[in-house]
Amino acid sequence: MRLDSIPVLGPLFGAGADDHVFDLLLLSGPLIICVIGFLHRSFVSFVLALSYAAGFVAYIGYRYTTMS
Amino acid sequence: MRIHRGSMAYDLGRMLEALSVLLFASLLIPFVWQEWWAIPSLVCSGVLPLGLGYILTHRFEHSGDSGRLHGMMIAASGWFLVALFGSLPFFLLAWTAQLDPGLLGVPQRYTTPGTQAFGTLGVFRHPINGVFESMSGFTGTGLTMAVHENTLPRTLQWWRSFIEWVGGVGVIVLTTAILARPGSGSLTLYESEARSEKIHPSIVTTVRTIWWIFLLFTFFSILLLWLAGMPIWDSINHAMTGLATGGFSITDSSIGTYNSSIIDFTLIPIMLLGSIAFPVHYLILQGDLKNFYRDLQTRWVFIFFGTGTIVLTAVLFRQGLYQTATVSIAGVTLHGTLATLIQSFRYGLFQFVSAASCTGFQTANSLGSEWAPQAQLTVAAGMVVGAAAGSTVGGIKLIRLLTLLKGTLFRIRGIFYPSSAIRTFRLDGRALSGTEASQEFEEAAIITVLWLVFLAIAAFVLLVVLPIGSGTDAYTVENVLFEVASAQGNVGLSTGITGPWMPSVTKVLFIFNMWIGRLEIIPVLVLLRSLFVYRGVYHR
Repeated sequence: MRLDSIPVLGPLFGAGADDHVFDLLLLSGPLIICVIGFLHRSFVSFVLALSYAAGFVAYIGYRYTTMS
Repeated sequence: MRIHRGSMAYDLGRMLEALSVLLFASLLIPFVWQEWWAIPSLVCSGVLPLGLGYILTHRFEHSGDSGRLHGMMIAASGWFLVALFGSLPFFLLAWTAQLDPGLLGVPQRYTTPGTQAFGTLGVFRHPINGVFESMSGFTGTGLTMAVHENTLPRTLQWWRSFIEWVGGVGVIVLTTAILARPGSGSLTLYESEARSEKIHPSIVTTVRTIWWIFLLFTFFSILLLWLAGMPIWDSINHAMTGLATGGFSITDSSIGTYNSSIIDFTLIPIMLLGSIAFPVHYLILQGDLKNFYRDLQTRWVFIFFGTGTIVLTAVLFRQGLYQTATVSIAGVTLHGTLATLIQSFRYGLFQFVSAASCTGFQTANSLGSEWAPQAQLTVAAGMVVGAAAGSTVGGIKLIRLLTLLKGTLFRIRGIFYPSSAIRTFRLDGRALSGTEASQEFEEAAIITVLWLVFLAIAAFVLLVVLPIGSGTDAYTVENVLFEVASAQGNVGLSTGITGPWMPSVTKVLFIFNMWIGRLEIIPVLVLLRSLFVYRGVYHR
């Protein structure tokens, strides 16, 4: 299934940076927040949040290096 | 001039429908927090704008596109209507608690006079307080009528954060994204909401991309704040209001409640993200990081924030307000003067970035009573100028200040050239002809002058209405200028003037200031003039 075919949110995904990693980050963001809501401050939730934030920054860095 | 009522009614109907979508989406919160008693109020708040919006859009469906003038009138009246209907949850929840129908099971703290929760929610029984809160939220101001925000029902805490989050990007940007209008009407409306930047040739794709960027940054900010040590509910709310540079908090003492330098420093990049224009964000996400210094406005955001921070730190350090024996940073303990300097820097950096980004988060509790007038005026200067146009900030905007400064220098230098000399005015990498330069200079000058005129009017009214002097219950002129700049710049920092205790006339005045500040004045003036002409109050 294509992301932009999802009802309501589809057009939003279709309008982004046309990059699957960012689309994945956009989709996984609310899921990680839900996980934190259930698990509170645990090792698993901490690793998930840290991976997300580090992954986000690292990916922008990666795009910069591949661009230049 | 003919007022195209059909076209206006249709667009206002769409905005009300979009508002109802926000209200119905917010129903998730009382379910999650089991605030069942809040559900009927939220449903009623959503049904009213939905019903009115449905009637307007269906009655005036074939009314055609609106021109520039009507675009401005729609933007101004639409924002006002949205703020008006957006106040319903405050009003209805407060009255639900007051009437306490046994069936709904309203928690006792909201029904028992004398408790903080009862008092805080109770102020919203007066409609003007709800409209104030709603206008403050949608315009991203952050001045509040709630005395103890932490005691508000979670549903209202969310609604305050949510409307700031939406208002940061824009109500019309939201309406265009979810209820795209055929024809050129979307572009006209978009430009009337103090926006002009385009990421894609299509305006609908542009606004959807803006939301895409905003959502992505919101999730990133939430997780960043949680990692810094904030509880998850607080992170969600503060990430939304921080990124939208709104400044509503769900705690009594704003960010100062946490007394954590890690949280303070984590919020700096979040507020900075909100201060940078969306097209620059888009390029940065593509990996084009050079835009941080290549883009004129972004470069100046850093220069302005940096300079303001240095000045404010120096003033606070000289005042010795944050004198401390030791301070620990990342496990390293500093002593004496260095510790005081670092502490002054911590508060100076946070408060200047919060002010100039028009966020309004507070870590210093005593901006009004203890900060030196020089410190207050430095922060006020940050609030008046703001940051980048095309971001979520208020104020005059850096690009206008730069246009004015460069334009003035250009004019003065022109005196030394022969009248036949062909000169080019350069701004943001663009070479402008004489006519184009005059147009840009004129536009920046008009907005700046209007901004200062309305600031002066509001300050004058406050000086008449409020007790001014040196007593414990009196305010100083610096306090008044600070507060008005905060309201009109959509900042939200307060010296203590704003609260439910304010006279009604100042509440109405601040509602007006927040409204004109968000729309950059002209659309509101166009609307008021048209209404006066239409009602025969004013003759051309």
